[in-house]
Order: sequence, then structure tokens, then C-alpha cells
Amino acid sequence: MTETSTLDAPAPAPVTPPPPGRRPAARRRKGAMKSPSVLLSKAGVTAMLGLATLYTLLPLTWLLLSSTKSREDLFGTNGFALGDEIHLTENLGHLFTADDGVYLRWLLNTVLYAGVGALLASVFGVAAGYAFDKLAFPGKERLFSLVLLGVMVPGTAMAIPLYLLAAKVGLVNTFWGVFIPGLVFPFGVYLARVFSASYVPDEVLEAARMDGAGEFRTFCRIAFPMIAPGFVTIFLFQFTQIWNSFFLPLVMLSDQDLYPVNLGLYVWYSSALTQGHPEDYLLAVVGSLVAVAPLIAIFLMLQRFWKSGMTAGAVK
Amino acid sequence: MLRRTTAALAGSATALALLATACGGTDQAASPGKKTGEVTFWSFLKGSDKVAEAFNRSHPDIKVTFETVPSGQEYYSKLTNAVKAGTVPDVAVVEYPHLPEFAAQGKVEDLSGTLGPVVKEKFPEAARQLVDLGGRTWGVPRDAAPLMMMYRKDFFTRHKIDVPTTWDGYRNMAEQVKKADPAARGGVLYTDNPGVLEALSWQAGGQWFATEKDSWKVTVDDGPSKKVAAYWGDLARKDLVRSLSQLDPFWTSVQKDRTVAYVCASWCAGAHQATVPDQKGKWAVAPVPTWDGKPASGMYGGSSFVVPKGADNSGAAAEFIKWITTDPEGMKAWVSSGTSSMFPADPKLVPVTKAAFKTDYYGGQDIYTLMARSYDAIRPGWTWGPVMGATNTALVDQLPKVADGTVSLPGVLTTAERATIEQMEQRGLKVTAP
Repeated sequence: MTETSTLDAPAPAPVTPPPPGRRPAARRRKGAMKSPSVLLSKAGVTAMLGLATLYTLLPLTWLLLSSTKSREDLFGTNGFALGDEIHLTENLGHLFTADDGVYLRWLLNTVLYAGVGALLASVFGVAAGYAFDKLAFPGKERLFSLVLLGVMVPGTAMAIPLYLLAAKVGLVNTFWGVFIPGLVFPFGVYLARVFSASYVPDEVLEAARMDGAGEFRTFCRIAFPMIAPGFVTIFLFQFTQIWNSFFLPLVMLSDQDLYPVNLGLYVWYSSALTQGHPEDYLLAVVGSLVAVAPLIAIFLMLQRFWKSGMTAGAVK
Repeated sequence: MLRRTTAALAGSATALALLATACGGTDQAASPGKKTGEVTFWSFLKGSDKVAEAFNRSHPDIKVTFETVPSGQEYYSKLTNAVKAGTVPDVAVVEYPHLPEFAAQGKVEDLSGTLGPVVKEKFPEAARQLVDLGGRTWGVPRDAAPLMMMYRKDFFTRHKIDVPTTWDGYRNMAEQVKKADPAARGGVLYTDNPGVLEALSWQAGGQWFATEKDSWKVTVDDGPSKKVAAYWGDLARKDLVRSLSQLDPFWTSVQKDRTVAYVCASWCAGAHQATVPDQKGKWAVAPVPTWDGKPASGMYGGSSFVVPKGADNSGAAAEFIKWITTDPEGMKAWVSSGTSSMFPADPKLVPVTKAAFKTDYYGGQDIYTLMARSYDAIRPGWTWGPVMGATNTALVDQLPKVADGTVSLPGVLTTAERATIEQMEQRGLKVTAP
């Protein structure tokens, strides 16, 4: 819509002059249209970001403070204030010795499920995405739509079918029942294809082929290092996904020694107050704090890759 | 296979409603079978590990492996899926409200032939009515959870408040408490657990569910239940009782002397002293108030044990279940930590648990005698529904809105009834008009 047509329109022109500082065009937006501009103003955006920050940080603050409290203080003092005594060391000691140190076992399991699983998933994903982008093979696009289909289906919906399959092949209640599904990451394949298209120029590959490098060598030595930031992004995505995956381990595992840390914490939390062992409640709180620490650490360490991955291809 | 996968996909979204088959009551009684070998045992109950150990020590022919599972709705979906996949444990815990769901869908073995006689011989009607359905036995009761009232003796004495015996008296008490200390309240309406409300409806003579020949009768908002709901809704709206979550918000209010009385069940005595140990000597237990002053009670909680459909070793499983529910040694193992105030469903075992639970927290009060009276006063005729998960979800969705008057509590019952019937019809269960 142009300025002229607005002027021609028979709509009654507002009598009050626009507030100073507002662009004249804003006059065209009436009523409900006004509020977005308020929200999009600098102060509005800052306020919303501030709210989002609070939303993220308040639970963490609660977690951090609660972890330092004794059980009496946990219920007896304000959640956003320090307790009467600092009990963090005792709590941590209790956490790592409870049930014969099963918590450490859960952490180790999670590192294997999420760390090793995401690493392998990213390698497979990058290799597949690269192949989809650079290589020609029959049925390529059809296969790729299958990958996209995999992206659409949420992980939780796959948990039950995976469980039934695992029951058929005897993987229920084994390490592999949770580890193997983590190796499949269709979204990573999709991302890798995008990354490969934007990071790896075809000319470079042609040059490599001219110099006599085989396909595999070209991928490993030339393409892979070029996609490295994308690789880290994919790794982080899948790492958090496996780390947070709850329903699959819940149905798949019943041996406590195989639990990932979130399922273990849930066992403590879910029965602590209802089954009358409140000490487990505090364990769940402290355990949650210890469990988020590696995630925060890994994001801080890898965030420069993450950031560069996020904006990759922005100008293409 | 494809059909199965699609069905499972849909199932995970709709709480597995579509796969449900209503085939309760038609199975042949399980054959007694052998009584040796390995038994896997799923439970979230306190002391389960001790029970398994003790059983293994005294029964060299059977080896029980205990596996801790989370409690709550997640556990029941795990168990449901295990039945579907054929990877079930041999023995599993199922709380009473969920048992009809498993029985009606044929997910647990019919125990009439093996443990039926034991249930008939050992347990009073109050517990039997919860595990017998359609004339068959589907589980064996472990503990009963008769209602009690917990109150701050020191607070009541200091402000000269009488311990109420009727619900009219309870309202007076709640008013007096608020007057004596504006920050304190004499009761709770949990916003995330309908269990107490259900138990109080039961106590008042409500009957939410009943089975007829091959159909269910659903009357969640029957007269007595509506009376209870109107009463508690009113207390909550007038801010005479607190409306909060039963998890940390509730315990915070107890710890901060803001909740000085609440209705709970037998097991709460142990849970309470473990959660707020520093209020030792301040609390006492009283019988739950009633409508007419005559003893009447219901149950809030309580568990039974089942043999899931497809269990490998149901013979040994039955042997294990029998021992952990009716043998004095088994009961002793459950309470060996000394911190559980659970009330055994088999009245003969009460001395065992009574001896294990020290009541110095409650000033040496004889709480087991109170519990036993409450157990005897449980109203007959209560049956849990076949889609209790859906019923409870419908209730919990609305409970937080009661205190501010957005919804009325009797209205919540009507909504829950509608949701329940809808869910039952989806599962192909026959519902006769209430």
C-alpha cells in the first residue's frame, strides 16, 4: 500500500497529531496494529529479553541456592534466599555416596549415551549430509525426503515403536537399547547438507579429485575440516537431545545401573515425598545441579562454533 | 507389524487408549506352575529392596531381582508398554486406583486360582473390594491406607482449639485457627492430587464406580461426593484451608507453621516425621472427622501386587507375593527401616508394623490403634474406575481453579465424570447411564 492510496481512502483521518518521534507511516496502523510497534521499540525488546533472561535464570538460581540447604532449610526458608547453614559439601557427599554411588554411574551412562552417541551420530550425519549434497546417486532426492520425514516425527512418538522393536531383538533393558537410537539423527543430516552446500565449494573438491584423491580421502581430509563448525553444531543439538531424552530410557530400562542421570533423578524425585523418604528429594535437587553443570560447560566451550553454525549460510 | 507400529504411535499420544481391549474376566485361572527359578520385581515402594533380600535369604529356590521404577503415571505407562512388548517383570506393584484399569484391559494375570483363596482368607472386605473385580482376584493387597487427621497439638492447646470429630467441627476449627494466627490454616486442598478428595467422597458414602454384569456405572458426582466437594470448595474459597501442591509448597507450609492440621492416611505419620523431623513432639494424630460423628473412613493410597500378563514365572511370583503381603517375616522386612507407618491390609500383621514404628515423634501416641479403628470403619462398596488416569487428570486440571472461584468443586466432579465416560467409551468399555 502506498502513501497516496492511504490519503485517497475515505477513512477518517485521526484528529490528534502523531506523538513526537513516531514515523508518519505509523499513522496508517490503527488500533491493534499499534501495540506491536510498542513491543518492538528498544525498551520493549529489552524488557522482553529481560523477562526471557529471568525465565531462564530464576529456576537455575533456585536450584543453586536450594542445593546448598539442609532439608529443614529447603522447606523452611525462601527459595531465593540462602538457608541458615551452607550444606553444599554435605549434600554433594551424600549425593555421590547414596545407593553405593549410583549417581556417578548414572553420570557415566549419560556421558556414554549422549557424548559418544552424539559424536557418532554427528559423524554419520555429516557424512550423509555431505553425500546428499555433493554426490550423485540414484533415488537421492527420494531418500532425502525420507530423511525430512524423520525430522518431522518427534522423538517421543518414536519411543514406543523403538521399544517394541527392541523387545523383538532382545535389546530391552540393555545399554544398546538406548544407545543405538541415539545414533540416528535425521535433522543432523539435513543440517549437514545445508552446511556442506555453504561451506564446501565444488571447485575445491574438483581440485582434490584432479590431484588424485579418492572420494573418502576428499571427504575426510578436505570436506570434513571445512564443515567442522557445522559438525559441532550438529553434535551440540544431538548431545542435548539425548541428554534430555526421557521417555525412551523410561520404557526401555528397568535396571537402575543402566539409567541415564535424568531418569535416575526422576526416580528419586517422584517417590521422595509420596513414599516418605524426603532425603531423596534433596538428592534430586543437588543431583540436578550437578547434572546441568556439564551441559553449561560444554556450551560455554563450544559456543563460538555454535554461533558460527547458527549464521552459516545467512547470506546465501 | 506396520499396523502395530501405527497403533503404538497413536497410542503414545492418547495414553494408549486405542489399543485397549475390554476383556476382563474371561481368562482362565493361571495354573499354579513351578515355584522355583528367577523372579523380577518392579516397585517404587520404600523397603522393596529389603523385602527382596529377605525373601532371597529364606527361599533358596527362588531368586528375586528387584528393580527400582519411578512412581506416578509414568510408571503405569511403562508397565503397560512392557505388557505390550512382552518384556514384563514377574511381580509388579500397582496402587489400588490403577488396578481396575489393568484388570479390565487384561494386562494382569487372573490370580483367582492361585492367590484368590489367600485373599479371601486373609483380608477384610475393605481391602478385598479393591482387588476383586467381576468376581475374580487380580492383585493381592499389601497395605491399607485408612484416613487420619494430623494436627499440631501445641498449637491447638495454646489457642484452646478442640480437635474436631465432625466436619462441622472441622470448619469451626479451621476458623479458629485462622483467627488465632492469620498466617496459619487448619487444612489443605491439594491442587495436584485428587486422592484425599476421593477418599473423603468414599468416606461420605459416595460410589464413583460400580460394575454390573458387563458394564460400568459411573457416578463421580453422586450426592455424597457433591456434598464433600461443596464443603471443601467452600473452605478453599473462604481461604480457611490452603490450596496448594502436595510437594514442596505443602511441606514448606508445614515447616513454616502455616499448616497446623490436615487430613491424611496411615502412612502419612511416617512420611511426616521424616520430612519435618525438627517438629518432633508438636504433632499428634486423630481420627478423621465424619459427617454424623459415627466412625467412617476411606482410603488415601495403598498398594497391591500383581503378576503382569506374560510373566515368565508366575508360579514363583505368586509365592513371592504371598510372602510379602501375608507373612510376618515379609511384613517385617517392609518396615525394617523403622520409619514407615504403613498399615498392613492383613490385620493379623498389625503387631509387626506397630512394633517397628517408634512413635516418640508423636509423644508415644498409640497411633496404630487409631488406624485400626479407621480401617474397620472403611465404607464397603467402593470400586476404583477403569480409566483412573483420565479421571484423575480431569480432576487435577481443574483443582487449582477452585480456590479463586473460577470453577466450583462439585462442578469439577461433573467435568471429571464426563471426561471419564468419554475415555471409557473410546476404549470400548460399556457404560450404563448413571
